[in-house]
This record gives sequence, structure tokens and C-alpha cells, in this order.
Amino acid sequence: MSAADDEAAVQKVLAGDIAAFEGLVRRWQGPLVNLAYRFCRDRSRAEEMAQEAFLRAYRSLNRWRREAAFSTWLFALATHLYCSELRRIPARTVGLDDIPEPSDPRAIDGGLEQKDQDRAVRQAVLALPPKYREALLLFYFHEMDISAAAGSLDVPEGTLKARLSRGREILRAKLAQRLLTPLVRKEAR
Amino acid sequence: MRDADLDCILSKEEEILPSSGFAASVMEAVAREAAAPPPIPFPWKRAIPGLFAAGLVLAFVILASIRLLVHNPSVPPIPAEWRTALASIVALWRTFGASWVVLALVLSLASVKLSMHLATVHGSRSGRI
Repeated sequence: MSAADDEAAVQKVLAGDIAAFEGLVRRWQGPLVNLAYRFCRDRSRAEEMAQEAFLRAYRSLNRWRREAAFSTWLFALATHLYCSELRRIPARTVGLDDIPEPSDPRAIDGGLEQKDQDRAVRQAVLALPPKYREALLLFYFHEMDISAAAGSLDVPEGTLKARLSRGREILRAKLAQRLLTPLVRKEAR
Repeated sequence: MRDADLDCILSKEEEILPSSGFAASVMEAVAREAAAPPPIPFPWKRAIPGLFAAGLVLAFVILASIRLLVHNPSVPPIPAEWRTALASIVALWRTFGASWVVLALVLSLASVKLSMHLATVHGSRSGRI
């Protein structure tokens, strides 16, 4: 399916052929569920949020301005919904200061289990203030495409860059603090 | 930790697959939505005169209360500063013809709502939204 197929499906739905919406759902279910999962880290909640996003898209199909691709519009709609959902009922995360310390602090620069480190970074992203968290999540979801991420968040590219920069700064500071603290403690003993 | 390390970690995200019944579940919800009767639009045409009348009554009540407080000596005493402030508000109201200002604001609001409504109707008819 291409962008032209999306547009044709939308036309059919607007003309009353509800079944044509299934093609859109099948094409975009993967990305929408995955995007929701990055926001909440809960598979079942991700599907609920994605379903609500599709339902809202169906309700407001006639508001899609064809200047932008259908996918751009759909991602913006879904992002807006996910952000409000997460602000309403936050994901079950731990605060930046409560992220568990790695099991073997000596290995930070060398042999720390990569999985532990990845998990700590992801948890730290979810614990960021919303505007930085959303910027980082969207940026990496769109494979580091600033323009696509800014489009989904409906903010100027400059704003997104500033939020990314600040978000990374907070992350680096908090992660360094978390990862270095055990080392300092150990040396002090 | 450098930006490159963060990029490396956050870029490689495991992909999850939607459950097998996800699309069917969405389509069920869509079908329910399509079968539901359209929402009843808010009856602005009927409500506007009522809202306008309510606004006028409210303004009248406020004005009457202020007059009563300022001019009636039997009302429990209020601090002199308050009295002066209220009197100056009433004087300003009269000087600047505030009633006309309120009327103009209400008319502006009504015209904005009407033009937005017309634009929506025109947009959905022409299919360019």
C-alpha cells in the first residue's frame, strides 16, 4: 500500500464504505501500536491507545488536509492522543532518582550488562518531564528524522531540537549520577 | 554518556507485533461508531437569545447591587475605600458607555461564531478540509 492507496481508501470511507478503513488499519496498526508502546511500555495499554487513535482518525477523516501525507496526519493525531493519555494516567515508571543501580558498577565503561544499561536509559527517558520525553520518543521512533518528529508533535523543528538537546542534557546528568554513585561509594569503603 | 551512546541505545528498540485480533477489534469499534446516531448539535440558534437575555439580566443585577451599595445608607456599612472604588466604577461605566461596549462584544462574538460555522459548512461541502 502506498500514499495513493491511503488516499483512495480514505475517499472510499468518506463515501460510506466503512470496510475500506480496514486496509488503513492493517497498514498502520504496527507503527501505531509500537509508538504507543514506546510511550507506556505496556503491550495491552498500547493496543488500547492505538485502537482509540484509529477510532479518532475514523471520526475525523474529513478533517485530513491533503497537503500532508495521510501517515503524517495519522501520526500527529496518535501522538496528540498518546501524550494526553500519558499526562492523564502516567505510565508505570520509576523516578529518575529511583532507577535501580547496575548490578556491577565497575563495568560501566566496559562490561556492564548491555541490557541493564539499555533498560536504565529507557526508564530514564520515561521519567523525563513530558515535553522532553515526548521529543526524544518521537525523534527515535521516526528514526532520528527531525522533520517527521516535529510534524508529529506539531512543533517547529527548532523547538524540537531545543527540547532534544535539553532532554539529552538531563538524561546524561541523571544517568551519570546514577551510574557513578555506586563507584564513589565503593571507593569510599 | 555521549549523544552517540544515547542514539545507539534508543534507536534499537524492540518491535512488537499487534495481537492477531487487533484489526478486527478496531473494525468492530468503527462499525459501532458508524451505527450510532450522529451527535445532536448544540442548538445555538435557540440558545443565543437566551444567553443574551441572561447576560443582560446579570449585568442589570450587578449594576443594581452596586447602586444599592453606593447610595443606600441602610445597607450595612462598607469600608470607605470600597465605596469610593464602586462609585468610580459606576462613573466609568456611565462615562464610557459600557453598555454599548458589552453589546459590541456580544455582537462580535456572535459574528465570529457565525463565520466559523459558515466556513465549516462550506469546507465540508467543497471537500477541501
